[in-house]
Amino acid sequence: MTAIAVKRPRALSFGNLWISAGIIAVLLLYPVFFGKAMNFGVSTVLFAGFAMAWNILGGWAGQTSLGHAALLGVGAYTMTLLAIPERGPAWLHSVGIGSGAAIAPWWGILAGMVLAVLLSLVWGSLTFRLQGSYFTLSSIAVALILRLVAINEDFTGGSQGLFMPDLPTFFGLDLFDRRVEYGLAVGFVVITLIVTHIIRRSRTGYALQAVREDEDGARALGIDPARMKLIAFAISAALTALGGGLYAIYLQAFEPHTLLELPLSVQIALMAIIGGRTSLQGPVIGAVVLAVFGEVFRNLFSSANLLIYGVLILVVTLFAPGGIMGLFSRRGRRLGTAR
Amino acid sequence: MNPDFQAFVQTLVQGLLTGGIYALVGIGLSLIFGVMRVINFAHGDFLALGMFLTLFLFKTVHLDPYFSLLIALPLGFALGYFIQRFVLSRLGDRLSESSMLATLGLGLIVSNMLLLGFGAQPQTINVPYANNTFTLGGIQVSIALLVAGLGTLVAIVGLNLLLYRTELGRAIRATAQNPLGAELQGVNTRTIQATVFGLGVAFAAIAGVLLLPLLYAYPTVGETFTLKAFVVTVLGGLGNLPGAIVGGLFLGGVESLGSFYISNNYRDAYGLIAFLLVLLLRPEGLFGKTVKRV
Repeated sequence: MTAIAVKRPRALSFGNLWISAGIIAVLLLYPVFFGKAMNFGVSTVLFAGFAMAWNILGGWAGQTSLGHAALLGVGAYTMTLLAIPERGPAWLHSVGIGSGAAIAPWWGILAGMVLAVLLSLVWGSLTFRLQGSYFTLSSIAVALILRLVAINEDFTGGSQGLFMPDLPTFFGLDLFDRRVEYGLAVGFVVITLIVTHIIRRSRTGYALQAVREDEDGARALGIDPARMKLIAFAISAALTALGGGLYAIYLQAFEPHTLLELPLSVQIALMAIIGGRTSLQGPVIGAVVLAVFGEVFRNLFSSANLLIYGVLILVVTLFAPGGIMGLFSRRGRRLGTAR
Repeated sequence: MNPDFQAFVQTLVQGLLTGGIYALVGIGLSLIFGVMRVINFAHGDFLALGMFLTLFLFKTVHLDPYFSLLIALPLGFALGYFIQRFVLSRLGDRLSESSMLATLGLGLIVSNMLLLGFGAQPQTINVPYANNTFTLGGIQVSIALLVAGLGTLVAIVGLNLLLYRTELGRAIRATAQNPLGAELQGVNTRTIQATVFGLGVAFAAIAGVLLLPLLYAYPTVGETFTLKAFVVTVLGGLGNLPGAIVGGLFLGGVESLGSFYISNNYRDAYGLIAFLLVLLLRPEGLFGKTVKRV
């Protein structure tokens, strides 16, 4: 008797790992060929990471947030405030914590991630009772209130923003060197890819997909939708704050008008959606494609750089709900959801 | 009159008149949501379009800003009709998420086109009556603000007559209540939906025209007003038109009183906090147990 060979579908996870590895390889090769355009490189790679982090909530949990700039801002502000001795450390010293010396950026970033997770837990537990567009609306409102606080309060540097004069070296590397920053940014993307790979085939990941597709059905299977969404939000927040800290190092000086604006949140969300929420690496592809488009049309559109986002998101919603990566899979062409 | 009380009334009147314009913006959004279940993220950008149209006509042919209402109304309607008929309706019955993203994209296109056409510099027009005020019982009222308030009133009464006194209005209400049922009764729901989107955009454009003598126009001004429109409609209950009017007045009053008595820096925050509270505690809006539709 011959055993019936069960034809396994060409394992998606296998292919996916290779795609991720390929993307990382391409990112690592970039400085070799475009060593002169490192500013563009660092910001593009950071945004790829932001889009990946956004997609954990937006793609896997299906909650479209237009407030991620707030989480990015929490990461950037916490790290920077702690790195400037006169600001964070002096205040901490006055309440009896620490010596008042500058706190190293890696600890600052970690603190930012913790704060972002706490924020996301409060934010999420309040707003996940709302569904669909309501969640999106409330995410805009929360981000805007945080922005107003950053602009109007003294401890955040007000509308002037913050400036980091110097940072300690990181294992002997100068953190303001673009090549070092590029390496850290790629590391950030690698982390987001790894986390997404893990989530995808984990119990949490399947639960998240179940919640996204049918909340009532998921509940019937014993999954707590609110808890699942909170987990996704917390992971997304931690990763976004991590990137936010790196972004602050890259910028060195920033102000709330550039860091906490709605267009930044929109940009992150649209990169992920245009790249393809269906696919694991879609957000990275979206970020790179949009950054390249933005650079190509920079002279033509100058400050109107979001025009291309508007056009592409319209094209994607009308003709390719699975985003760019969705065009390559049969499933993605039908559904705008990650699997 | 007691000066403290006078200051209070002055602030409140100012706030309510501004609130009237918010109501006008909010009604358009609420109308569109009521019929199509779509949250129009481009709403404020259509308002910006109305502002810049007025600015353009004033600078080129010296047309009085209030005359451009006659142009903004049909143009806004045509634009909205076109967008719904040829763009948004193509999304078919897909998730409301897609239409949300599509309108977000439209908004980005509009605001960035304005940026390309007019530059980022805030601009305004100089009309002799822009800063005129008159005093009534010790309360100063800006003429432009009063005209805006009256314009809002006319627009709201007009919309009400349209919805409740005409055959078109009946068809719109029927489509809002039950699209399939309406279609079975011979209503062309596609045309009705396009008409409603046109009306919504026209309302936003009118609000833009009325606001130009009061505010600086800049390409991203719409972002603020999209948010204000959200706040207004959520306060009143999405799809609830009388609710939107009250929501608008409420927002105007809260903003004005809050910035006078607490801090002007957080002017935009008061509305947002009220908005979050309503979303959390009474997602159906301040009035009514169920969401009333158009």
